[in-house]
Amino acid sequence: MKAVGRYGGQAVGLMVASTIALTAIPPYRLTAQVLSPRDSAVHALNRLAYGPRPGDVDRVAQGGVMTWIEQQLAPERIDDARLAERERRFDLLSYSRDDLARLYLDAQRARRERQQAQRADSMMGPPADQADQSPERLRARRLAGELQELAVVRAALSERQLQEVMVDFWTNHFNVFLGKGADRFLMPSYIEETIRPRALGKFSDLLIATARSPAMLFYLDNWESVAPGSQPPFQTRNGELGTRNTLFRLPRSAFRVGSANRMPKGINENYARELLELHTLGVDGGYTQQDVIAVARIFTGWSIAPPPRGGGFEFHDWAHDRGAKTVLGVAFPPGHGEDEAVRLLALLANSPATMHHVSRQLCARFVADDPPDGCVDAAAAAWQRSGGDIREVLRAIFRSPDFWAPQNVRAKVKTPLEFVVSAARAVGADPDSTARLAQVVARLGEPLYLHVAPDGYAERQEDWLNSGALLARMNAAVAIAAGRLPGAAVDLDALVPATADKDSLIAAVNDRLLAGTMSEHTKTVIRDQLSDISDPKQARALAIGLALGGPDFQRQ
Amino acid sequence: MTISRRVFVKSSGLALFSLGLDPLFLARAAYAVDRPTARPPDRRILVCLFQRGAVDGLNMIVPHGEELYYRERPRIAVPRAQVVDLDGHFGLHPALAALKPLWDNQSLAAVHAIGSPDATRSHFDAQDYMESGTPGLKATPDGWLNRYCRHDQEHADTPFRAVAFGPQLPRILAGSAPTLAIDDLQAFGLRVPQPAARDRLTRAFEALYDGASTGLLASSSQEGFDAVRQLQQANPTQYQPAHGADYPRGRLGRAFLQIAQLIKADVGVQIAFLDGTGWDTHVNQGASEGQLAVRLKELGDSLAAFATDLGEKMRDVVVLTMSEFGRTIRENGNVGTDHGHATAMFALGGPVNGGKVLGKWPGLDPATRFEGRDLAVTTDFRDLFGEILTRHLGARELAAVFPGFTPDPARFPGAIRA
Repeated sequence: MKAVGRYGGQAVGLMVASTIALTAIPPYRLTAQVLSPRDSAVHALNRLAYGPRPGDVDRVAQGGVMTWIEQQLAPERIDDARLAERERRFDLLSYSRDDLARLYLDAQRARRERQQAQRADSMMGPPADQADQSPERLRARRLAGELQELAVVRAALSERQLQEVMVDFWTNHFNVFLGKGADRFLMPSYIEETIRPRALGKFSDLLIATARSPAMLFYLDNWESVAPGSQPPFQTRNGELGTRNTLFRLPRSAFRVGSANRMPKGINENYARELLELHTLGVDGGYTQQDVIAVARIFTGWSIAPPPRGGGFEFHDWAHDRGAKTVLGVAFPPGHGEDEAVRLLALLANSPATMHHVSRQLCARFVADDPPDGCVDAAAAAWQRSGGDIREVLRAIFRSPDFWAPQNVRAKVKTPLEFVVSAARAVGADPDSTARLAQVVARLGEPLYLHVAPDGYAERQEDWLNSGALLARMNAAVAIAAGRLPGAAVDLDALVPATADKDSLIAAVNDRLLAGTMSEHTKTVIRDQLSDISDPKQARALAIGLALGGPDFQRQ
Repeated sequence: MTISRRVFVKSSGLALFSLGLDPLFLARAAYAVDRPTARPPDRRILVCLFQRGAVDGLNMIVPHGEELYYRERPRIAVPRAQVVDLDGHFGLHPALAALKPLWDNQSLAAVHAIGSPDATRSHFDAQDYMESGTPGLKATPDGWLNRYCRHDQEHADTPFRAVAFGPQLPRILAGSAPTLAIDDLQAFGLRVPQPAARDRLTRAFEALYDGASTGLLASSSQEGFDAVRQLQQANPTQYQPAHGADYPRGRLGRAFLQIAQLIKADVGVQIAFLDGTGWDTHVNQGASEGQLAVRLKELGDSLAAFATDLGEKMRDVVVLTMSEFGRTIRENGNVGTDHGHATAMFALGGPVNGGKVLGKWPGLDPATRFEGRDLAVTTDFRDLFGEILTRHLGARELAAVFPGFTPDPARFPGAIRA
């Protein structure tokens, strides 16, 4: 592993010292150009939160931005009663994993029955994958919609903003595609039980939890990865087999996939490869194809229980390759079972390459698309010091001079989720529990949990800025300004009273919606546009639409 | 936008007409003779249609010369008398009869036994691989059409360079090169019902982005407004298909119609993408009639209408169909077919080496089947896609488009005329 030498040793020790020395200094005095307390509050609210709500900036600035950051780093101590109340509207949260497994079985049974009925029916029926309006199918669709909306509602309403930002970060870091077969039903538990409780915990715990999660095992096919030549202890008598992933379709034959008589024949490298490339070491992390194969062998037998048994994690001893393996030069002696993968994950979680790779991604999220080395090194040093405590890594980033450097303030473009949620927060919108707000996010290009590839949604502006997407943002802004934000009630009168005085209107929009970040150019353009509009409500709608759809609000 | 370039293109088109040449798309002989000099420097266009759900290639391009085909599919085989024969061995499904004239004028070819080197029978994985262009590799972040756009910057002067029809950008076009997803041409732009208010708002936003931002924010917004303006000039609400072209109703026909509109509006389309579902015929797929026939009729009629509508313009266009895999040779217990391996793809257009079923036919013999049951893949889909990119669009850097794949012109199926 060439990466080990690069990031280990002396350099890390130096970074530890400098990070500690800096912690006592208020962040906005760290650089020659000083951010005002209010600018610091806006910056922190844009990065650690989904943007300020009316009044947030003053509150954070008055209490001290570092105090607020410390509070956000301890979300368990923040009261979140309003969100808790709102979450009760989501049926999804009352389902157990067994309930969800049952829903999946129901949906599959209904599908089979429908197909049989169709066979008995005319020759001209609709194609099998179309126009399925059965109650089971609709329930599955509603479930997906609820899951997406819940993410948007939490992002908009939670007082534990950093927690929500980190849940989104890890959801993308450990991406699973909701549209892949059983993942429709495995995703709720993945978010609620795997990601959320560990979003600010130890990275190694999160890594192990994702490795064991049925959602990930299914998404990256590890559930069907078996040692070559291994045989399950039982054989099924199902002759005619389905065509999709049959794991949940034929409960007793959990190991049939594809179609007739296809048994998994050997190891599947998909999870192993993404584990090294995306989840831990990074593409330049110094591993080889031989390492990928060894990792895949270590994970043979990590599988999923059939739905009647709850669809949870199951280790299949019979499918496990018990031979000796070597990963990154580390020997894994023969004769081991489930334990050796846990040992491997712990090794990967605290490898210097992993520290650096994940720290860089965190800095890309919080500091800049191409983060400076300083904050990345500070984060990696905190990682090493704390054994991968995510809070400590984040604290190091928020205390690094790079985080507060003026060139990194308002330097990032919002993702569609950040844009929609920050707009909803800016206007104090009250989102309902329908999927409509999540659909706005989807229309802007980021349908939640529906990124197909395992790399998750991108953090870089190039991936979000294209002409069609920008027009869609303008349309969303115009809809909000007209009080037509789908799925969220907005009280514009309480926010910006309609007035005939153009300058006070622009000042109010700048103060309440843009937290004072409106550029002179934007003010001038809006003033020009308002010049011949006499109706105060029309003027307000135009001003708000241009402010939220304009360039100032696309940045954070 | 380089206006001068378009003026040049238009005038060269005029020049061609004034020379008295026949419509080249229909009069191949004349065209072939004059090709080196008469070829106008028009933008070459690729239209890709993804048949999502895995089309049954064996009932689309029917191997009616194979006894085994009829033995394996007693209830869903297309009877020999109803197949639209192409070469004595293969024939079109009768629902595709509208394509026969295009076959006869040699602008339509099929590639049979084509597919992925990866063995997966998962729709999700196989579509992913066909769109990323990296079979077996899931982590590829972008699609191969986008990578092509990034490496061939020659056409990067228009927001309409690569357009997907649908609400979201498909994986095949995802990536760092600018691309556009259009759900409906008529609704593209700022959604304000009154034209005057819309124009005003458009101008206001343009002014906002024009002066206040630099970099991607500025360039993306400028491209967006250029696109809106160009579309306005093209006036999509007033479009009438030419030459009596009759597009089938429904999403597919409408998407093809809008692509024809965009091409004729001369806004710089180089790549258009559209997709359709309904090909996953596990149950009751039908033979000459039935579910699959309904889908194929929509496909054939859409393609035929598109070719008719574009007329002479088809000399610069290739339409390519693709699907993630094929279906089982043997029919299943539900009078349908299950997920298989190789399938068939169409290439249509002036540059196409038409009137041929291309690719090496592996036969249906159990001994030559993939995993003992499915039609074997003899053409890697990247060989067809790569051929079209190089010989039709003039791509020079295939290695960047299909990483890990060594393109070899000797393996190209020969879909584009040399």
